Amino acid sequence: MDGTAVVLGAKMIARLLDNILGRGAAAVTVPTLDGALRPNRLLDEATYRMPLEDVDCLAALPDGLRASAGRCLYRLADQNWCQIAEYDDRITALAAVAEGGLAVALACGEIRVLGGTYDGLRYHLRPTLGCITALAVAQGQIYVANGSAHTGADNWQLDLLQGNASGSLHRIDLETGDNAMICAGLAYPAGLVMTEKGLVFSEAWKHQITRIDPQNPINREVLYADLAGYPGRLSAMDGGFLLAVFAPRSQLVEFVLREPAYRQRMLDTVPQSCWISPKLRAGRSFYEPLQGGSVKQLGRLKPWAPTLSAGLCVQLNAGFQPVQSLHSRADGATHGVTSALAHAGRIYVAARGDGVVVSAQFNNERRGA
Amino acid sequence: MTPVLELRNGTKSYRGVDAVKDVTFDLRPGEVHALLGENGAGKSTLTKMIAGVVEPTSGQVYLEGEQVRMNSPSDALRRGIAMVYQETSLVPSLSVAQNIYLTDDKHFHRLRGIYIAGQQFLQSLNFNVDPTAQVQALGAGQKQMVEIARAVHHNAKVIIFDEPTATLTPEEKHQFFSLVDRLRLRGVSIIFISHALEEALAISDRITVLRDGELVLSKPTPELDRDRIVQAMVGRSLSEELYGDNDAAVRPAGAKVLSVQNLSMNNIVRNTSFSVFAGQVTGMFGLIGSGRTEVAKIISGVHKRDFFHGGQVRLDGKPVRYRVPRPAVRDGIIYVTEDRKQEGFFETMSIAENVYLGALAGGKTRSRMINLREMKEIAQTWSDALSVRAINNDANVIELSGGNQQKVVIAKALVQKPRLIIFDEPTRGVDVGAIAEIHQLINRLADEGVAVLVISSYLPEVLQISDRILVCRQGRIVEEFEGRQADEATIMYAAVH
Repeated sequence: MDGTAVVLGAKMIARLLDNILGRGAAAVTVPTLDGALRPNRLLDEATYRMPLEDVDCLAALPDGLRASAGRCLYRLADQNWCQIAEYDDRITALAAVAEGGLAVALACGEIRVLGGTYDGLRYHLRPTLGCITALAVAQGQIYVANGSAHTGADNWQLDLLQGNASGSLHRIDLETGDNAMICAGLAYPAGLVMTEKGLVFSEAWKHQITRIDPQNPINREVLYADLAGYPGRLSAMDGGFLLAVFAPRSQLVEFVLREPAYRQRMLDTVPQSCWISPKLRAGRSFYEPLQGGSVKQLGRLKPWAPTLSAGLCVQLNAGFQPVQSLHSRADGATHGVTSALAHAGRIYVAARGDGVVVSAQFNNERRGA
Repeated sequence: MTPVLELRNGTKSYRGVDAVKDVTFDLRPGEVHALLGENGAGKSTLTKMIAGVVEPTSGQVYLEGEQVRMNSPSDALRRGIAMVYQETSLVPSLSVAQNIYLTDDKHFHRLRGIYIAGQQFLQSLNFNVDPTAQVQALGAGQKQMVEIARAVHHNAKVIIFDEPTATLTPEEKHQFFSLVDRLRLRGVSIIFISHALEEALAISDRITVLRDGELVLSKPTPELDRDRIVQAMVGRSLSEELYGDNDAAVRPAGAKVLSVQNLSMNNIVRNTSFSVFAGQVTGMFGLIGSGRTEVAKIISGVHKRDFFHGGQVRLDGKPVRYRVPRPAVRDGIIYVTEDRKQEGFFETMSIAENVYLGALAGGKTRSRMINLREMKEIAQTWSDALSVRAINNDANVIELSGGNQQKVVIAKALVQKPRLIIFDEPTRGVDVGAIAEIHQLINRLADEGVAVLVISSYLPEVLQISDRILVCRQGRIVEEFEGRQADEATIMYAAVH
């Protein structure tokens, strides 16, 4: 027996022991929401609430805010949403392009530009990307995050429960349309932002934010690890960034993710709405599984009740460390935050779970904000 | 009125240095006499002369007008002078009741008898301590209770309390003060050494202040206030520096250095989760027995978490599990103990040797071989940095005052250049001057980017130095406050409800 076999054997025994003892990689734990992530109700108490059923992604253009919902594109005017375009497929991501343009990614894998210098251009990557989750435009390039090679953007729960890590990042030249893959094998990249030091993306199933050098993708640096939720889209703001966390982590889900046989049986036999998995909105059906304990006290939902959905938007500083956060707790009405951005001195947060965009403000007195 | 106890022109010298210089001190029947002073001012030496622990170099002790010579603490105890020490002097391997009745020959061999007697006696004092429990299993607060109970049991005429409330929770302090009142009514005279000036002002009839071994002030309490006492103690006003209004902004959190997730250990630590960030002081408040120290000890590898599903500790996002403290020290996690005498230093070794051992443990020496010149350099650097008051760095740590011992323990920790440092009751048994220095040091560490966790039972201290405050109750973190925004009542409410 050579050395490698001994090491592998020792690792297998350690893993077996960890599984039995519930420790190491098999520890069913989640990080707590404390420090800058201390729970509050700021999302539910936001000044403006602008309902938009199925709202997903936001983008800020010089003439106002854009939002995607299903196959339609909307513009915000006087706190109301006006439909400005409709596509033949679902919109999965938006990004502002130079001179008032807007890049729109569709579920079919096509990226179209609306307005601005590149108005009317269409880009199609080969092989087709079926799960575009985020776009970022910088230096004449569109950077594309493809969440999964196996599932569509709307089927992210399946991708998580299957334990996939088939996401990838791509680059498209706006002028020529030339495209190239930057890296692959990512655990559901769901957010992208270009910084001076490189391309930063959120990897949802690894609960981390990573920086990569697009020219030399081997150079990677984890900027923020072990998040308390599944990180989604990123956007730049004054002196920092905004991160949308689309679902919270819970011990029940972590447990299920470590039980492959159980998980497979659940996928085969249980309707998707009743899976034990994070959700954009939970708590609307009595068939839904619970983490344990009671969720109501004297008929009222406890804010701290174990939940599969919540609302969370995090302000990050220039080093991608959290500074402060906006929450909607278990009993809140702004769950499933899929996009957040700063525009005209306010923060706009799209909560797809509850079909609403809220406009809130951080406390700028807080140091480091 | 004849004083029950009097020391006339008492002097005690160690190696030619006067620890106490020509001090005349008296105690009247039924009086509570507070003895105050900085670390190394000579308070402990003075009381040790009275209690027969050390023999005065010159001077006489008078008990009820008669000159006496105390040969030993047991001799003093026979004459009715009992001392409750700052660092507990209990026998760790014996039970609570056995410790109380240790010199009581008729009881000592009848375990059942002493447990029943111990139970009744502790109940009469309102002390919630199990008489059958081994002393080594008790927390610092409960050990203090047993010390007090032992002194009360010996029907002493004079009881000397050396920092009795340092380890007690606010509730326990109230109990202690009512006990002092009861003792006073029974005609017992009390010498009360404390660094909590408010306590001295609240319960004493007379206050005496020592500075550098000399008596600088002795007046009835109503004639004194806090500022005057502090000025007498240190020669300058420190009130604002210590616990005055703190308008400093909260430091922003840096990277998450430590993440404790669902940590469990027996029933003491129960599903505890919290984070500690670089460049911030995270204060942890809780009543004694709330599991704060145990959490710190699990993190630093002193204790082990539950074998099954004990939770996770993550350092810089990576899971760590320390079975002994050594790898934790190597990773930059340092725990500064609350029980310095038992766990903080080697009492028979010198200051230099203790600090150098810290450097060796942390791998911060030039070589793995012991280098006496380097030892001297390191010890001198840290003695100067922390203002350790000693004859020289070759002095044994046990000979130092409580505050200076604490500085040596801190120096031993800091020499290892930690990334995460956990201070457990850092100013327990430390004088006001040293408290200010230790607070400045803690702030400096946070400013330099070190992640600092401070466990304290003293609310003004927690409020003063913390950027964020965690409240611990029954083995769990139950509340988090942003520093400077919380107040004592809110924190205490979270800690007890």
